[in-house]
Amino acid sequence: MAHSAAERASTHDLDLVAQAATGDRKAFGELVRRHGSAVRGLMRRMGADPALADDLAQDAFLAAFEQITEFRGEGAFQGWVKRIAARLYVRRWRRDARMDLMADPPEPEADSGLGDMGAINRIDLDEALRALSDVERVCVSLCYGGGLSHAEAAQALNTPLGTVKSHVKRGLDKLRARMAPGQTLATPESVAHG
Amino acid sequence: MVDRSFEMELDRQFSDAPILPDSDLFAGRVTDRLERGWTFRRLLIGGLGVAGGLIGGGQLLGSGLLSRLGSFTAQSDTLVKMGVAQLPAARGLTDLLSASSNLDSQVLWMSAALAALAVGLFVTRAIREI
Repeated sequence: MAHSAAERASTHDLDLVAQAATGDRKAFGELVRRHGSAVRGLMRRMGADPALADDLAQDAFLAAFEQITEFRGEGAFQGWVKRIAARLYVRRWRRDARMDLMADPPEPEADSGLGDMGAINRIDLDEALRALSDVERVCVSLCYGGGLSHAEAAQALNTPLGTVKSHVKRGLDKLRARMAPGQTLATPESVAHG
Repeated sequence: MVDRSFEMELDRQFSDAPILPDSDLFAGRVTDRLERGWTFRRLLIGGLGVAGGLIGGGQLLGSGLLSRLGSFTAQSDTLVKMGVAQLPAARGLTDLLSASSNLDSQVLWMSAALAALAVGLFVTRAIREI
């Protein structure tokens, strides 16, 4: 059955998924239009530059289309694609050997370009994530943005569960220090010891 | 210990991703790649089908199947005529068969063509289902 663009725009995600499962690529295109920004945003928050984020998000959506019959509708479609994308990012990241998961976390770098925000009591997540080391940012993003459990993140990263938990905890401590209401912008020293 | 309210706030902020201005363009790129992949897949299947058909046809022709079919048709035709000729009561039918003997091989080929068409439709349907 053919659906117009207007009909698709007002169709629920699950119905679009059902249509896409029959090979309706336009229905899937509507899902991409709805959730593309969220997936691309997650890739950027995990540390990908915009071009890589777009490439990985595209790959994630293509993979989602290929395996769309496996989506049972138990969670949100967006969360499902985000998990696919997060795993793709981790795979790419590990392939590029950009991280050493077992290494001690580096000292946070001094902020650049944030000096004019000193009066702001609360900074947004994107800014706060910059205070984290690569591995902390990936672990936190996997568990909170990608919706993976610590165990799933450990499996994706091929690293011990305890290591992932400690990276997540350290990352959350830093984020809380920078994002907590009523606090001024954290200095590197306060982040390191907070 | 990270408090639960902070984790919920973090979840919320991760969920509240800003809508990027080129979201339609991005969706277009993804659907273009889907279409390209689909077109490639169809061309590949079609090409393999044509190649398989040509090879199969070549094998059939090379094996002398046509001449064997022709002789089989002629033998059957003769056999049927002899059988009918032995039935005195079916004189009219013999005349009818004699008149239409040149049509027998055409009927056979037509049936074979229809069978091949049916097999083709079945294979097409099976590929769609896969």
